[in-house]
Amino acid sequence: MRIEVRRGNYYEDFVEGRRFFHHWGRTFTLQDTLTFSTLTQQHNPLYFNEEYARYLGYQGVPVNPLLVFATVLGLTVEDLSEAGGPFLGVDDLRFGVPVYPGDTVYAVSEVVSRRESRSRPGWGIVEWRTVGFNQRGEVVVQYRRRNLARMRGAEGR
Amino acid sequence: MAITGGGNYFEDFQPGQVYVHARGRTVSELDNYLITLMTLNTAQAHFNREYMARMLEGAFPERLVMGAVTMAMCIGLSSEDLSENAIADLEYTGISFPAPVFHGDTLYAETEVLEVREADRPDAGIVRCRVTGRKQDGSTVFVGERTFLVKRRSHWQERDGQFLSSRLPRELRGWAEG
Repeated sequence: MRIEVRRGNYYEDFVEGRRFFHHWGRTFTLQDTLTFSTLTQQHNPLYFNEEYARYLGYQGVPVNPLLVFATVLGLTVEDLSEAGGPFLGVDDLRFGVPVYPGDTVYAVSEVVSRRESRSRPGWGIVEWRTVGFNQRGEVVVQYRRRNLARMRGAEGR
Repeated sequence: MAITGGGNYFEDFQPGQVYVHARGRTVSELDNYLITLMTLNTAQAHFNREYMARMLEGAFPERLVMGAVTMAMCIGLSSEDLSENAIADLEYTGISFPAPVFHGDTLYAETEVLEVREADRPDAGIVRCRVTGRKQDGSTVFVGERTFLVKRRSHWQERDGQFLSSRLPRELRGWAEG
């Protein structure tokens, strides 16, 4: 027996108010954040100099907030946007407590609103609110995101 | 040089300033794969070329660079000028990606200062700015407003200037810049 696996949700699945507890979680290492910050040229030594980070009052090099955001976003993709289309925008992105190497982040989301696309039949625009939090239940990032979402039957269009 | 630059403390920022950042960045396939996959992003649009050829009637010729990669690169290009002396990132809003980015595109960034205000601590202030990223053909690929907490020169510059000199090897004691 062959089982053809499909991943992701469609426009019709995003009923307003529906909540998602996203899979996996992810633990950060110092190497993750050093690689991310240097690869993307984040030229503030807070993100790659341990001694300087302590001088600013941190416990050590914090995980770059843009990496925290990108990871929380990544954890939501299978449930929210994998079957869909392009990323349209993000608003009200706020960072909470700093994340340090060794911390683990998780994500949950809620459907805020949806509407059918006027210009693209078979597609709609969905907005979710996502909250990322650590192993102690402290919020590390939250934001609202909009994406193009495919309707069932519009496959391949 | 001190441990960080001397021209980007809170006192240096005023609404209306537009910084055209010095460096550009050509986005590589490695950039997109590494960040997309290390953040557990499962959207094939970023790593399956055949899938992309089918999506949206073939509207995109290639794998898309993931939005958070484009965002991080544009913020990175702006960082030495804007947030080298930042103490914390507070907020982003109004983030959009008007045109797609593909491997091989070259990004440039500029930043307009929108607002400067007091923080709830005396040694730092808050700056709100709009970062715009463009690629080689002039099309806008990223826009976003960023709010961060940044050191005040009045409280930090002297200490920042001593950061390296206080750590000099014994045989270099007494060295001063210039």
